[in-house]
Amino acid sequence: MAQFRAKKLDLGCFINIKVIRDHTKRKVFEQHEPERQALRYIIRNTSLPQRTRAQAQLQLTQMHCYTRPTQIRNRCIMGGRGRGVLRDFRMARFQFRMNALAGKLPGVQKASW
Amino acid sequence: MAVPRSRILDLMKVQSRIFSTIYNPTNLRLGNKILRQRLKGPSLAAYYPRRVATFKDLKALYPGYEMYDAFEEDRLEHIQIAKSRGKGAPKKKKVADTSSKKKRR
Repeated sequence: MAQFRAKKLDLGCFINIKVIRDHTKRKVFEQHEPERQALRYIIRNTSLPQRTRAQAQLQLTQMHCYTRPTQIRNRCIMGGRGRGVLRDFRMARFQFRMNALAGKLPGVQKASW
Repeated sequence: MAVPRSRILDLMKVQSRIFSTIYNPTNLRLGNKILRQRLKGPSLAAYYPRRVATFKDLKALYPGYEMYDAFEEDRLEHIQIAKSRGKGAPKKKKVADTSSKKKRR
């Protein structure tokens, strides 16, 4: 959502709207994580009154979807792809191949035996 | 050899005090596992590489100096070649022209 987006872009990788959106979600989640964890604690704590816990449940479900960690998806930093992204290199499989063959990824070698 | 329960509870109390955990002999669900979790926001937010200083920033910092921006020069050269072959971008229309056209429609 546009209300969360930073006024000035602070990304140094490949940029398209999906990458910007994902980046925004990450930052929003980081901001709201303590609040979410507090609500989760209240919900899980069976020694608290039922009413409080139900209220906390409601509050947690009514938080914006951008504050949810499940909204975050790892995307390729070279091409913005959302599928086939290698977590260690943050790159999709083809970008990884091109960069690895070009020798831009230290320690990566083509298998040969 | 049976140890009385009160002794074990005492032991548990001391244990929880030393390791600063919650004393919970009846195994109630107090949700402390949520509080024990690390916050993973910072590591998630650091996924994409951030913008570092660009050539534009450098130019803005040192306005008086002459600098060579290879990418920009390449781009300008490419445009020059395209224009010489007659393949350049069309010229922009005058603002007054477009408004008069709209009126006619």
